[in-house]
Amino acid sequence: MTAEAVMELANVSRVYGQGEATVFALRNVSLRIQSGEFVSIVGPSGSGKSTMLGLLGCLDVPTSGTITVCGREITALGDAERTAVRGRTIGFVFQQFHLIPHLDAAGNVETALLYRGLKPAERRDRALAALQQVGLLPRAEHRPVQLSGGEQQRVALARALVTEPRILLGDEPTGALDTKNAAMVMELFANLRSPERAVILVTHDPGVAAAADRKISMLDGEIVADERRAVLL
Amino acid sequence: MNTFKDLLRVSLGGLLARKVRTVLLLLGPMIGVAAIIAAVGLTDSAKGDLKRKVTELGTNLVLVSAQSSVGRQNPTLPADATDRASKVITVEKVAAITQLSNIVVTPYERAKSQFETVPIPVVAVDSELPNVLEVPLISGRWINAFDESATTRAAVIGIGLAREFNYLPGEIRTIELNGIRYGVVGILGEVELEPAFDNAVFVAFQAAEQDFVDNDILPNKVYVRCENGTETETAIALKTAVNLGGPQEVQTEIKAAALELAAQSDRQLQLIVVSMGLLAVIVGGLGIANVMSISVIQRSAEIGIRRALGHSRAIIGAQFMLESLVVGFLGGVMGVLLGVGAIFTGVKISGWVFVLASWLPPAGIVLAMLISVLAGVYPSARAARLEPLETLRLG
Repeated sequence: MTAEAVMELANVSRVYGQGEATVFALRNVSLRIQSGEFVSIVGPSGSGKSTMLGLLGCLDVPTSGTITVCGREITALGDAERTAVRGRTIGFVFQQFHLIPHLDAAGNVETALLYRGLKPAERRDRALAALQQVGLLPRAEHRPVQLSGGEQQRVALARALVTEPRILLGDEPTGALDTKNAAMVMELFANLRSPERAVILVTHDPGVAAAADRKISMLDGEIVADERRAVLL
Repeated sequence: MNTFKDLLRVSLGGLLARKVRTVLLLLGPMIGVAAIIAAVGLTDSAKGDLKRKVTELGTNLVLVSAQSSVGRQNPTLPADATDRASKVITVEKVAAITQLSNIVVTPYERAKSQFETVPIPVVAVDSELPNVLEVPLISGRWINAFDESATTRAAVIGIGLAREFNYLPGEIRTIELNGIRYGVVGILGEVELEPAFDNAVFVAFQAAEQDFVDNDILPNKVYVRCENGTETETAIALKTAVNLGGPQEVQTEIKAAALELAAQSDRQLQLIVVSMGLLAVIVGGLGIANVMSISVIQRSAEIGIRRALGHSRAIIGAQFMLESLVVGFLGGVMGVLLGVGAIFTGVKISGWVFVLASWLPPAGIVLAMLISVLAGVYPSARAARLEPLETLRLG
């Protein structure tokens, strides 16, 4: 039986500029990612990784082709609906953490639950549960400046997880961390595998890429390799 | 409702996180609203005081005075001006005065050098003046019929002069008018309709004629109390009655109307200060627009992450708009408090009646909020337009 596709790209191209300044960031890419998969997207600088990340995260729309997220074609949607789909189905972890500096760890995690009709107490409970999941409950009331890089990234991971997204999208999640913290974060990512969720990491780090079950290699805006290794869930 | 509560919480959090910036933002609407509230409140309080004075003093006092359009330096009214005025049917009480010139007033011989250069008005009066002005004597008595018939050298001094001369109530004292000793027989209370009287010396016409002038003194002003509500007709009638057959020109003035005129000039001042306050609110609004625009740039990463987490453009725009609105509200409230404080202080210092129109505080707050909302439109729209991809450095 084939698992449900959480993300599907069909003949997607992304073009920037016009005329002589036209740049093909992505050329006719097709890709299907199923729930339960742990995917890494690798490639050198300029290969189209960031463009791919923007499109996978519903932060951008393709110039041509279609993108379907959890069965819904988002290329046909307006900004507001696309934003709603993004909020409901995708959790982000960025290289630079992007925590809000004036909020404590729990507050940052709660930000992902705002405007969803939840009561503050319920929001708080879920945020604390997410922080516990990444081992940071004791630092719940600490601000980002009071946390180490590894801890900040774990808060960002808790923020991504708290909405229980179908897709967890990581952008060089270990890029700003030392080896020890990077290993800790990668272990967390590996433990987040579940049959209901796909984990996608965009990276140029071969070590990070090796942790995934499926490695998609990109070059000059095209997918040049799509390798899988068998994993027991 | 929950969405609004969330928005309010996020907006307040944003403002509290940058306290100095928030305080600077508050200053514009706060100062503007305070200036407007203070200007309107202080002039209203002054006007309220004026109304109280007019109520106390009565609106029915008419002043008849000689006009100097025929080239004479010291125009006078006819000798029988008071009799003529009394013939007007609506007139109830009449008193005549003449301001004397070139009389040096000193409290005593040794103080001559100190006071002879200070011009103190000396006024020749009849026995009716306090009765017409409806001003009581603080101590002693007024010039009476005996002083007039016996030509006594009795003088009454105004309350201001009594203070200046360190006169004690009931003290037996003399003053010198051109070196001639007069006994101070009383002190006249504050004359709100004629403040110049507070520093004047009053003597009987007969005494003045005896000591300072060779010929008969003619009155140059007549104070008239008329029946309430007949001021305008009485003023018109008095012009004819006093001047009939004479060569002089006469003008009449309803004293309460003169006070109203003074209030009118206060209103013009009020308009100027209100305009300045309005300008301050608008400049404050521009400040809000400027600082919030910079803030949008500074917080672009925060906006980006919020958008990535699923907060819509409308929510982001509303968050910044609500920040503006809260700044306007708080600035307005603080401006009202500051303005009311200024009115209270002004009223305390001036001894006025505290007047604050009930619509003024809410209007001040609404104005500050309105300006802040207008100022917040551009930064909010700019924040809402930001693309998460532009603000989150990916890859």
